[in-house]
Amino acid sequence: MSTLEVLAALIIVLVILIWRISWLASRVHRATLRTERTWSALDGALVGRAERATELVTMPGIDPATALLVLDAAAAALEPDLCRGERERAESDLSHVLDAVGPMLPASPSELTSERARASICRRLHNDAVATALSLRRRYMVRILRLARHTNEPRPFEMADGKYCTLPAGPLETDQPS
Amino acid sequence: MTDQRRSLRVGLVCPYSFDVAGGVQNHVLGLARYLRQAGHRPYVLAPGELRPSAATLDLEDFVSVGAAVAVPYNGSVARVSFGPLSAARVRRWLRNGKFDLIHIHEPITPSISLLALWAAEQPVVATFHTATPRSRSMQLASGVLRAAIEKIDAGIAVSESARSVVVQHLGRDAVVIPNGIRFDDFARGPHLRPELAEAHPSTNSGRTAGSPMPSQQPRLIFIGRLDEPRKGLDVLLAAIPQIRAARPDLEVIVAGQGSRRLPSCCRSLGTISDETKIALLNTADVFVAPQLARESFGIVLLEAMASGVQIVASDLPSFVDVLGGPHDASRLGEVFTVGDHRALAGAVLHVLDHPSPLRAARAQQAARHYDWSSVGPAVLAVYRATLSAAPARRTGNVVG
Repeated sequence: MSTLEVLAALIIVLVILIWRISWLASRVHRATLRTERTWSALDGALVGRAERATELVTMPGIDPATALLVLDAAAAALEPDLCRGERERAESDLSHVLDAVGPMLPASPSELTSERARASICRRLHNDAVATALSLRRRYMVRILRLARHTNEPRPFEMADGKYCTLPAGPLETDQPS
Repeated sequence: MTDQRRSLRVGLVCPYSFDVAGGVQNHVLGLARYLRQAGHRPYVLAPGELRPSAATLDLEDFVSVGAAVAVPYNGSVARVSFGPLSAARVRRWLRNGKFDLIHIHEPITPSISLLALWAAEQPVVATFHTATPRSRSMQLASGVLRAAIEKIDAGIAVSESARSVVVQHLGRDAVVIPNGIRFDDFARGPHLRPELAEAHPSTNSGRTAGSPMPSQQPRLIFIGRLDEPRKGLDVLLAAIPQIRAARPDLEVIVAGQGSRRLPSCCRSLGTISDETKIALLNTADVFVAPQLARESFGIVLLEAMASGVQIVASDLPSFVDVLGGPHDASRLGEVFTVGDHRALAGAVLHVLDHPSPLRAARAQQAARHYDWSSVGPAVLAVYRATLSAAPARRTGNVVG
């Protein structure tokens, strides 16, 4: 084999390697962007849920004790500058409070119910995106070439969804994400 | 929230040809119908031609990628499209459609679903219909198709068993939303069509609406492809002698694509229309679902429940999810061990001897939850959540 042939082979290998790395890098980038977008969607959905919960207070016929309980939990969830763990706890608490007061409300708050469903779906999409990004970041090539060095490692958002419904009561509605 | 009310342009991709009836095809048509009624613009891409009888869809909203090719896939023969020509058509459809999002059905199918997933630049929602625990394509998918799977923004699984396959093999998650049925069509009572009446001149009289035990011959029905082993017709046929020994007057009707030799007591209606299916379900005493495997959802089972007929089904996970287990006191039908023809015969005889209108009524109520009026809004909620996490559109804004 002449030097030229060896050189050509080397170049071909190098080109394939670079193409593969850049492809992997673009996948890492895309996955990271998706975690950011799904997070902002989840954040918006959670804020929407807490705001709808706050509006329960103005519901005609609601008793003051129930109103105080809901308002307290919703205000805690809407608190600015919560760290991740505090936010997860506050949102879970709000879920539990909403579950607890649900049967005592004078009417079924349909907007709140759909906001809860939206938050639950958004959370699942976010955690799914985080799982994809993490599995890419754990790859050998990604780690040794530090393809994800510009971004922080994403974390799933763990909270209790409560008894949300995406469907009216039915046999399949018992599905609760862990 | 104006964004929540905006009319959406949705591109639905169906991997299987509309030339033949099938669960996925019916689901896509039903979803398109629901979306249109809800004020959105659904567009459907599929192989083959749309049958006029399935024209719940405006023909101009349907685009064919060309003739479908019948290939063996996933234990049956699938009519799919693939190849560079199909890929080019898929790309053109995606480019020209100006869709807000693409909803791909069975994304890991060697057909246009995979081509669309590969080429899509819009947000992608994908519905997984299959619940095959050891699906070869799913296992392959985890390696070769990893990059394509990463493009899915939101996954939907039609049952818990379908979801666990997605989680295990693809490392992705999915929201569980069952397939939809048109409940009112099936629950509206019998109206025999001529072809059915001709097939059974003796049984026309004496059948009244919703009567679980008509005075005449008891009628047992099976709906599903006759030539596909996994649909389990063999199990039913093996059980027939035992059932007939106890109920010599039993009438057995099978309906579905394919041809095969049947015992003399069985009559085949061949491929049936929706109207005939409704009439058939409404005049039957027992509906048997003897499926052996790979039934992710069993839409016909739900349609049968909606019609109020007594149910006998094998204990596949997806059936048990719907009906309840064999030892569940509040189960909605009789459940027998998969492939056990003696157990099937026993269950059928039990149902014939002790018909329970109450249980049939409960099954009917349960089926109501799968009506498009419940299932459709859940799908839309996933669309909205997906769009709220979608990147800002690169192409010019489109007014629908």
